[in-house]
Amino acid sequence: MTLKSIIPMKDISLKELFSFKKSFSNVTMAILTVVLLALFLAGSVMYFIDGHHAYNISREHPWGLIIAMYVFFVVSSTGLCIMSSIGHVFGIKEFEIIGKRAIIGAIITITTGFIVIALEIGHPVTMIIYNILTPNFSSAIWWMGTLYGAYLGFIIFEFIFLVRENHKWSKFFGLGGLLVGLAAHSNLGAVFGFLIARPIANGVFFPIYFILSAMITGSYLLFLMYGFRYKMDFPEEVKVMLTKLAKILGLLLAILMFFEIWRMLTAIYGGMPGRAEVAWHILGSSNFLIGEVLLGMVIPFIVILASKGTNIKGMVWASILGMIGIFFMRYDLVHDTQVMPLQLLKIREYQLPPTFIEYFPSFAEIGVSIGGIGVCFVMYYLADKFFELDHNKKDM
Amino acid sequence: MARYGMVLDYKNCINCKACETACKEENGILLGADNHRIWVGTKEIEGEFPFLNIASNNFLPSQCQQCANAPCQEVCPTNATYYDENSVVRVDPDKCILCSYCMTACPYDARYVDDRTKTVDKCNFCADTRIARGETTTACQNTCPTKVRIFGDLDDPNSEISEVLRTRDHFTLKSHLGTDPRLFYLT
Ligand code: SF4
Ligand code: SF4
Repeated sequence: MTLKSIIPMKDISLKELFSFKKSFSNVTMAILTVVLLALFLAGSVMYFIDGHHAYNISREHPWGLIIAMYVFFVVSSTGLCIMSSIGHVFGIKEFEIIGKRAIIGAIITITTGFIVIALEIGHPVTMIIYNILTPNFSSAIWWMGTLYGAYLGFIIFEFIFLVRENHKWSKFFGLGGLLVGLAAHSNLGAVFGFLIARPIANGVFFPIYFILSAMITGSYLLFLMYGFRYKMDFPEEVKVMLTKLAKILGLLLAILMFFEIWRMLTAIYGGMPGRAEVAWHILGSSNFLIGEVLLGMVIPFIVILASKGTNIKGMVWASILGMIGIFFMRYDLVHDTQVMPLQLLKIREYQLPPTFIEYFPSFAEIGVSIGGIGVCFVMYYLADKFFELDHNKKDM
Repeated sequence: MARYGMVLDYKNCINCKACETACKEENGILLGADNHRIWVGTKEIEGEFPFLNIASNNFLPSQCQQCANAPCQEVCPTNATYYDENSVVRVDPDKCILCSYCMTACPYDARYVDDRTKTVDKCNFCADTRIARGETTTACQNTCPTKVRIFGDLDDPNSEISEVLRTRDHFTLKSHLGTDPRLFYLT
């Protein structure tokens, strides 16, 4: 049995593998990919030499940029999976065309997430062994890891059946992947939501917010993937799909803004120690105001609103800003959860009383995490070469 | 099997830091400001000179609170953090994957990364040093010049710690979180 008999692949030579049309956008992407990949390698080498000392994480701020980027990647994956299920699981016709592209995107982003987190967790091999030997069912990280493992299995099978045009089984695995993905992803939210020590994160908000923002991330990514695929010159059925997508995205963004407003109001109201202060701190930070609110929500929302969803080219550009905003959402989620010190007394001579904890990622952290995007790009490039990701015209 | 706990008569603390030193010595904790299992916090004097509130300036020795309902144990994916036979919360370095979840989950900032094993470490009531040798004291308690610390078995009604807890008012830190600490501060 060969790989090809399991999953249909294109026959391409080594030369074809590395050749692409030298258009401006392709060359830009190629350069960007090489730079990011170099960054990733540099960061990884620094980590292998110095271990966690290569990172700026500390006793008070044990989770840094890499955790944020892991969340970023798995949110992207879940988002793509959810959005693609609108078509081939729930049978909404216009969305059926995104199946393959979205699911391969989901597989690639979660794989990158796993690669990145493997460079953060101190002992990834021990993790695999003791996750099985001595599982702790009350740990959200245990559930998150286990469910994401199952999720990856499901979506790989889903992709295989999609490429084989076997709609019965792709639907089955699609539904499985969707359900397990939702469970895994809300569990990731619970990793933060369960922290009773951190009043700003503790509660029901994050598990729900993770699903909502995943759908938004998935939509942004679809705009980017299709914008790049068709170089802004969309066939009619893609145009129809993306217009619908823009409308859904507009609704999702409105819900997210509504959620955020109430989250902040409840965090500030009553002035609960450790929560209200952090909320004010968040509200005053440019990461939140410019990154999350302006780039992540308001600009894309205005683009959709102004054109009633028909400005697809505008949305592709806005999606770049949107993804930067999503990055800040993840970064702030991790950082702001830890920003309030738990030790409020001075414990050393000549120390100032503890205030908000400072953290800025080191070069190695930036390399591993931002560079990880390069790993994603390479995998996507290869997938696009080996598999037929476009929809089948005769299915329309 | 015992259920170990500790009482701290913190108002007697003179901030000599003998306990911190003894802990490092006994348990071989690496040097460096972040590598500490126990610490003495200082509350700064309130008020502007000369109207200083001397009573506000006190010292609060602290460490892992040995929670009976420990958030760090609840979140640990591999059960590396566990309750031993003496109800002491401990970390098994063979199972710890250094995911740092316990460090974000502990409400008392009691955990740090031990650079030798690259795993998380914290106070374990000298479980693998003194207690393992059959002693029934901890290094910090043994060394304290003003007898701030009383260590003992909470299940033994005749122990000094049980007696003190019966007869004197005490409180625990962040008790509203429901962690049920086994470190008690005398008022
Ligand atoms: S004080 Fe922290 S480390 Fe100690 S048992 Fe409680 S939660 Fe765990
Ligand atoms: S860092 Fe180690 S002890 Fe802490 S939760 Fe992770 S595996 Fe458990």
